[in-house]
Amino acid sequence: MGKSTLRALLVVGGHELRSRLRDGTAPLIALVAPILLATLFGLALGGDDDPPLKATIGVVDLDGGEFPASVQREALNTDELKGVLTFRQYPDEAAARSAVDGGESGAALVFPAGFSEGVGAGRGGQVSVLESPESPLAGVVARSMVDRISALVQARTLAVRASLEAGVPADRVQLFVEENGAAGPALSLVGDPVSGGKVDLAVHYGAGMAVMFAFFVVGTTARSLLTERQNGTLDRMRAAPIPLWTALVGKSAVGFGLALLSMCATWLSSVLIFGASWGDPLGVFPLLLAHVFAATAIVMLVASRAKTDAQADGYTLGVAFVFAFLGGSIVPAYNLPEWLRGVSLITPNGWVSAGLSELAGTGAGPSAVLVPIAVVTGIGLVAGTVALLGFRKGRFA
Amino acid sequence: MTPALVCERLVKRYGDKTVVDRVGFHIDEGEAYGLLGPNGAGKTTTISMLVGLLRPDEGTVRVGGIDVGEDPVAAKRLIGYVPQEIALYPELTARENLRYFGRLYGLPRRELTSRIGEVLDLVGLTDRGDDKVGTYSGGMKRRTNIAVALLHRPRLLILDEPTVGVDPQSRVAILDRVEALVGEGMSLLYTSHYMEEVERVCTRVGIIDRGRVVADGTKRELVAELGGTDRVELTLDGDVTAAAEKLRAVEGVSESVVTGSSSIRLLVAGGRHLLPALLAAIGDAGAVTGVEVVEPDLEAAFLHLTGSTLRD
Repeated sequence: MGKSTLRALLVVGGHELRSRLRDGTAPLIALVAPILLATLFGLALGGDDDPPLKATIGVVDLDGGEFPASVQREALNTDELKGVLTFRQYPDEAAARSAVDGGESGAALVFPAGFSEGVGAGRGGQVSVLESPESPLAGVVARSMVDRISALVQARTLAVRASLEAGVPADRVQLFVEENGAAGPALSLVGDPVSGGKVDLAVHYGAGMAVMFAFFVVGTTARSLLTERQNGTLDRMRAAPIPLWTALVGKSAVGFGLALLSMCATWLSSVLIFGASWGDPLGVFPLLLAHVFAATAIVMLVASRAKTDAQADGYTLGVAFVFAFLGGSIVPAYNLPEWLRGVSLITPNGWVSAGLSELAGTGAGPSAVLVPIAVVTGIGLVAGTVALLGFRKGRFA
Repeated sequence: MTPALVCERLVKRYGDKTVVDRVGFHIDEGEAYGLLGPNGAGKTTTISMLVGLLRPDEGTVRVGGIDVGEDPVAAKRLIGYVPQEIALYPELTARENLRYFGRLYGLPRRELTSRIGEVLDLVGLTDRGDDKVGTYSGGMKRRTNIAVALLHRPRLLILDEPTVGVDPQSRVAILDRVEALVGEGMSLLYTSHYMEEVERVCTRVGIIDRGRVVADGTKRELVAELGGTDRVELTLDGDVTAAAEKLRAVEGVSESVVTGSSSIRLLVAGGRHLLPALLAAIGDAGAVTGVEVVEPDLEAAFLHLTGSTLRD
């Protein structure tokens, strides 16, 4: 990109930003409205009444050995889960599935026959988790337990194999390993996974408003683009000795920047007002960045199809609200009918919501949101490509 | 000397419809060229291709020897484009509008400030330069619209209907400025609905109709094509459509068009001698209340070439 083109982009962007500040839309839609709504929702619906604070986890013990019993015993003795966790026994997987689907248990663990023996012999084993989207905390707890079990099984398997390699006879290896520190499932579920599993509704609504308002913020740029086309100033810019796409890109960049600012400000307000954590900032920020990119591309796609600025406004409102509803930005996804939950993943909102649940709900690191970031970026790329074709046809670029 | 503008065989289609069909003309350095045509003739589409806003399906445009398709940025640097609509920000002052577009044209800040003063003076708006454009009269907006196009001292000024909706005083002021600019050596492409404006400002005229340039030449050359044909303006009470139909059948009448609810324009060979026959032909279709026979002019040439009036 040449120096003169960059300068032209800055001129267009500066003009757009001044216009947004002058007409008051930037501070109102990017900062005041999302922070105010997120705060009001958080005050009204967040806090201690968070429904998933109790978790009942079903257990199907087809093994009958020491391992499943120890796991339950250790979990119930964990400080963080006292008064929160209840185990319920089921004879088989079908009964457990039925209980989870019916809401009797939030999730279930299935220990297969021969599990303890397999672990003892160094062959490892597999524990299944049955989950329900209506009980996210139970699912988080169950998965955390399986993660710990998995780590223990791997350690135990490794120890047994190492002992065998070292020449310990097979009939003595179990005793040898237990005598040397791998006695049983010393399950420690304290700390991050479980406490982070409490996804406060203040976080949910903060993130939901941020995600939804990103569309509205970019929508003001879309409207401005259409207004400029109607007034002839867009053609006047395009007639200047700069690339035809300068006006479009310069204005879109301002929409993108304001939307990112809006999301970050809402995130910060959520942290400062409610003390709520959205998770690891190194995971949250790229996820928000990807969402702003996708929202910008989707709104620009909408603008490329609109004939007037009023039409662009209407389209943007429609898309923002429908995506917000389907993607769980307004109503948590687990409260939606089952057929709608699948639909949520066609929206960037749904993926951002899922990513933030991982970060804030399980305390996972940035790697946990790589897939949501990739999908949301992909949605943005597809929408952006189609938008560009429309813009060329509609004499925007 | 390199012509200011050369366009050759320009074609633009929308679906099956060809709105500009092999349009070609040229403008010499310092020449004022008028493009005349009724609404929908393809003038604005042609201009959009000339200034690089629209990509032609076929044909080429060269501005000062630079191909607009190959190097649009360099070519656009030579053009001052004044669009038909008032393409300004009403919430900004004239000075702010000029500063914004001047910076888009790459004018350095220091030069821009003095140049803004010059163009405001040129269009007679120095005193109102710090007022918001939204508070201006139609004529003042038009003059500011032109001022924006002059900021970067273009070699070719393209004016698309620059006097639409302005008061007579502003219209005169605009034409005076345009004439002065041409006098100083600027090349000009001028489109207008007002024949008298084109006759006053331009030395050469192209007539465009249904997407094609049907004639191109000086006013004298175009009028000469009419031979001894006069333009006759009739005013009558009655059925003007029926009267125009009857007049068309009179020998010597080459065109007969309704120009208003009580007016008809005719192209007549030997107009004065044919008047009795014309009045007789109208018969009971209407009562003639006025007759004017006009010597061959550009208006008559236009009617002759297109079969329509300019404001159709």
